[in-house]
Amino acid sequence: MTDTIEESLDTIYGTPPVGTEALGRLQQSVQEWQNAIWYDALRDSPVGPLFVAVGNQGVVAIEFGTDETGFVRELEARHGVTTIRSMGRVSEAMSQILQYLSGDRRSFELDVDLRDSTDFQRKVLEAAVTVPPGYVATYGEIAVRIGNPKSSRAVGQALARNPIPIVVPCHRVVAADGSMTGYSGAGGIETKAHLLRLEGATIA
Amino acid sequence: MGDSNNKPQFDILVDAHAAEIYRYLWRMLQNEQDAEDCLQEAFLKAYLAYDRLDGTANYRAWLYRIAGNTARTRLRSKLRTGILLSEDLADPGLPVEQQAQNQQLLEAVKNAIAALPNKQREALILRKYQELSYEEISAILDTSVEGARANVYQGLRKLRTQFERADSLAVPNLAEENSEVGQ
Repeated sequence: MTDTIEESLDTIYGTPPVGTEALGRLQQSVQEWQNAIWYDALRDSPVGPLFVAVGNQGVVAIEFGTDETGFVRELEARHGVTTIRSMGRVSEAMSQILQYLSGDRRSFELDVDLRDSTDFQRKVLEAAVTVPPGYVATYGEIAVRIGNPKSSRAVGQALARNPIPIVVPCHRVVAADGSMTGYSGAGGIETKAHLLRLEGATIA
Repeated sequence: MGDSNNKPQFDILVDAHAAEIYRYLWRMLQNEQDAEDCLQEAFLKAYLAYDRLDGTANYRAWLYRIAGNTARTRLRSKLRTGILLSEDLADPGLPVEQQAQNQQLLEAVKNAIAALPNKQREALILRKYQELSYEEISAILDTSVEGARANVYQGLRKLRTQFERADSLAVPNLAEENSEVGQ
């Protein structure tokens, strides 16, 4: 009997709930996703556990030698938004970094987002990006480049707080005598030397 | 995101299609909480994949496809764990006896629907209740247009055959009543 089936189907499927609340919550989630920071981790990269975070304007953080809890806590404290682990959103940045670390890439085609840095830090970090792979600049030279020649000490501090090491190449900035005075990333000076060697720079 | 290739902003897709996708998920899952969970999950998957989506894609069919996959996965895991709750569809306005009868019939139809091949059940919902075209259904279910049409037809036919047979048991009674009236 056709009507029985039609009527039963209509009872089963005909009157779905409007779902106003479910749809409202979805809209809220979409907004969160749009403002969220997405991150992913690679446990055994050449520089140890590697964490990469991307916002909707570009890479916001790279860290290595840390753990997930610490990385996420700092990200959330710094940016005040939801963080979501996702391989998909981060995969482009992650793969470029891995290519670089294995010597298959010299420069990056990635947007970086330095919104949470001060104007001074941003200027310093942007100046560091202009130092080509395999070359180094001194803190003083960066200070000159940003139009503040007496600020080499502050330049050093800004580089020490670089949120996006490797992609923003703070490792290419060295002391006036060419010595490697410090590196904020895990492994310290050794990592700095490793990255410079990777780029073909001769380390004295 | 989503402004490359002249693609609409993701929010616009959400505004345009979330309500119908929610209804589709509810129809697939027969439960509001599951429908909402899958709605969130499906749109998150869509959001993550949106940048890589071809600008010429049929966004609606694409969303339906993701939603369908999400719902199927949920159904499978619920079947495995044995918790498949459906909401009570009884009409409280009817006498108790009739409610019970209707409920029995509905349960029987639901079981019959559940026993249909996935594509037939989904094609039926998509065509009859989501009111999509066969072209769209074919894109969602990854079949030809003829295949989509055939799935709807075969699904309905199976249900009808099954319940015609059940009804045929009641036919002699009806005939008797009719003949009594006739005399």
